[in-house]
Amino acid sequence: MAIFTINKSFVISPEWTFVLYLTGILSEKVELMIERTGEQSPDIEQSLDIGDVRLSRQGDPDAYKRLIERHQQEIGKIMWRFSRNRTVHEELVQDVFVEAYISLATYKQRAPFTHWLRRIATRVGYRYWKQKAREKKFERFSFEEWDRLTIEAPEEIDSSRAGELLHNLLGQLPPRDRLVLTLRYLEGCDVVETAHRTGWTKSMVKVQTFRAKRKLQKLLPKQEVVV
Amino acid sequence: MKNNNFFNSLIARARNEEPPRVQVAEQVIAILAADEKRLEWFWDRPLMWIATFSSAVAVPVAVLAVLLHNMWVGPLFEISQVISWVM
Repeated sequence: MAIFTINKSFVISPEWTFVLYLTGILSEKVELMIERTGEQSPDIEQSLDIGDVRLSRQGDPDAYKRLIERHQQEIGKIMWRFSRNRTVHEELVQDVFVEAYISLATYKQRAPFTHWLRRIATRVGYRYWKQKAREKKFERFSFEEWDRLTIEAPEEIDSSRAGELLHNLLGQLPPRDRLVLTLRYLEGCDVVETAHRTGWTKSMVKVQTFRAKRKLQKLLPKQEVVV
Repeated sequence: MKNNNFFNSLIARARNEEPPRVQVAEQVIAILAADEKRLEWFWDRPLMWIATFSSAVAVPVAVLAVLLHNMWVGPLFEISQVISWVM
């Protein structure tokens, strides 16, 4: 799809023709780049996000739909750490985008839209875990199976099974500890990013990580887990 | 050490996991549209109450205004005005 097409019947002067011609070529080149790479560069994506955020604030549902379509897979990946039930997972992703729309006025555009969305996703997921903990619903985890698996080579365990095992293991911890370990180790966030995602201070993240690791070690005394 | 390695390699494998793809755009837009309608309904209600309250205040004010007007333009009021001017 070309952004600009030149129709000779609308050309007023030769200068205009030249400017329009250049704009047309440039936009087509950018689109070709997008098509070839299969994904948009962060700069292009960010400028698209800013434009769509502005239109969404003005009440354009199509603009918000574009934002969702651009970010739903990334948010889906984050929310998969919070629930591995497909129905709940989809509901959590929906909640993130509903909450983001309601808070859209608070987005200051200082950081990329994705960072802001990740923070909301973490809040929604953490809230879900706290609700589950209040209802005393815990993940099922078999320590015998864990012991048996440690004998096996980890290469033989596929990534989905590994994710499920860790999800259920961390599910034995209180939501706060579970959150910090999930972000630090499964998501691979550093202290600064974890602090940003949780809204905690950096020292609080460090303390919480230390405590959570100790609780995990107590949970699996035979394993001597040092993460 | 072996167990420790097992745990860390499990984390490394879990990081590469491909989550199921989601398509939530339509649902989110539908939820937001429904919320907007509910919000409109919510805002219609207070406006209705404000209108009722305004008319409830306006009726006694109008009655009072008519009474005052009648009092001022009545014959007794005119006589008293004339007397005060003579004196």
